[in-house]
Amino acid sequence: MDKIDLFKLHKADYIASKEPILNEITMANYLVINGIGAPGEASFEDAINALYAMAYTIKMTRKKQNKGDYVICKLEARYFCGSEQCLSEIDKTLWHWQLMIRTPSHVEMTDLKQAAKALFEKGKTPSVNKVMMIEHEFGPCIQMLHIGAYEDEYLSIKQMSAFAVENNLSALGEHCEIHISDPRRIPPERLKTILRMTIV
Amino acid sequence: MRVSTKELYISRMVKVLNYIQANLDKDLTLSELAEQACFSTYHFHRIFSGMLGESVKELVRRLRLERAAIQLQTGALSILQIALQAGYESDMAFSRVFKARTGLLPSKFRKSTHTKYPCLAKASIRYVTNEYITSFEPFIDKELNMNVMIKQVDDIYVAFVSHTGPYQECGKAWDVLCSTLAPEGLLGGNAKMIGVSFDDPDVIAAEKLRYDACISVTRSFKPIEEVGTKTICAGKYAVITHIGPYGKLSQTYRQFFGQWLSQSDYEPANKPCFEIYLNDPESTDPEDLVTDIYIPLKG
Repeated sequence: MDKIDLFKLHKADYIASKEPILNEITMANYLVINGIGAPGEASFEDAINALYAMAYTIKMTRKKQNKGDYVICKLEARYFCGSEQCLSEIDKTLWHWQLMIRTPSHVEMTDLKQAAKALFEKGKTPSVNKVMMIEHEFGPCIQMLHIGAYEDEYLSIKQMSAFAVENNLSALGEHCEIHISDPRRIPPERLKTILRMTIV
Repeated sequence: MRVSTKELYISRMVKVLNYIQANLDKDLTLSELAEQACFSTYHFHRIFSGMLGESVKELVRRLRLERAAIQLQTGALSILQIALQAGYESDMAFSRVFKARTGLLPSKFRKSTHTKYPCLAKASIRYVTNEYITSFEPFIDKELNMNVMIKQVDDIYVAFVSHTGPYQECGKAWDVLCSTLAPEGLLGGNAKMIGVSFDDPDVIAAEKLRYDACISVTRSFKPIEEVGTKTICAGKYAVITHIGPYGKLSQTYRQFFGQWLSQSDYEPANKPCFEIYLNDPESTDPEDLVTDIYIPLKG
C-alpha cells in the first residue's frame, strides 16, 4: 500500500508565494488541540507535544494493524480571538489557538481513543486527552509566505491586510501559520512560515 | 596542552604510517594497525582517514602505485611483475589505474625520465625507501567549524530492533520498532529516537553494517516480539549536531575523529557511537534534518 502524503497531494493548499494571493482551502481532516495563551508558553509547548505524540501513535498503531501508512503533515496553528478582531501583538495572552496536523480522513475516533488511553497510561502528558479530530474548511483566504522571525510576522500580516483592502475583501480576524521549517535548526531570519488569513 | 595532544596523535599515527610502509605487501588488518599506536580499534579507522584525508585502503593502494612508479623508472622488473607486486591481478588492470593517475601508460612512464609520479594525497605522505616518517601535517579542513559539547550521559534504557545491511535501509527496523511501541503508548513525550551504529561504513561492506534502532523506555518495558531491550552505557560523550541528510553523517564523523579529536585533549572510548534523531525524516527535507551524534570518550 502506498504511503499517503497529504502535504504533497494538496500542494495547491500550501502555495508559498512571496506576495499575498487568494486561495481556497476545501474541507479537510485535522487532528487538533485547542488552547488560550501566547504561543511559546508552557501550555502551548505541552499541546504541541501532546498533538505529536497522538499523531505518531495513531499513525504507527494503524500501520501495525495493516490499515495503511501516511506521512505526518506539517504543524499548522490557527490563531483567533474570542470575540473581536483583536489579535493584538502587544498582549498575546488572550490569543486562542488551535494546533492542527492534517490527517487522512480514514483515521477513526476509536484510533484516537486507543492512542490517548495508551499514552495516558504510560504517563505521557494528560493533554493527549484533549486532542480531537475535526473537519475544517478554511474556505477563501489570503495566503503568503513569511520568511523571518515569528516576531516579524505582523509585517506580512499588514501586507495581507492591505491586499484585502485593495481587493475589497474583509478578513475574519484570524490567521493560520503553517510551519515549513524547524525553528530548532533554522536561524530566525530564515524561518519559513506560510500565513493564511481567512476572509468572508 | 592542545598542541601537545595534537602532536601526540601525530606521533602515534606516524608509527602506523611507518608500519604500513614497512609492510606494504602484507594484508594489513585494522586491528593490527590500531595496535601499533594503542588506538582503540573501534574508532581507529575514522581517526586515520580523518587525519590523513584518505582511508587505509586508499593509502596502501596509492603507496603501492608510487612504489611501482619508482620501480618502473629505476628497476628492471617487468611491468607484469611490478603490477603483481602492487596488488593487481594483471598488467592490464594495473596499466589502466596507473594511466588514470599519471596520464601515462606504465610503458611510456618507464621511458620518460623526467615524469614524476603525482602525489595526490591531502596529507603529504609519500612512498619512501630507507627513511622513516617522523611527523606529518594532518589534513585539516580550513572550514572546520565544529561545535562540540562534552556531556556526562546517564544509562539510557531502550527498546530496540537490530538491522544488518546498508544504513539507508534501516527504516525497516524503525517501522517495526515504532509500530510495536505505538499501541503501548510509548511514543511521544520524552521518548528519544536513538540509532546505534556499530560499524564504520568506510571499512565494512554495506550488507554487513550493524545498526540498532532504539527508543528510550522505562525499566518496566518488557521485550515484545522482535523488540528487545538493552542499556546504552553511561559515560562521557562528545556531542556534535549534524544538520543535513543522513547520507552525510559519515563526513561529520570523519571530521570529528580525524580533525577535532586529534586537536583535543580527549581519547575515544572503545564502544560504539550513537545518534539521536530530532526530526521525522518522512516529513522533513533532508537538508533540514537534525541529528545529535554522541561519541564515547575515555575518562
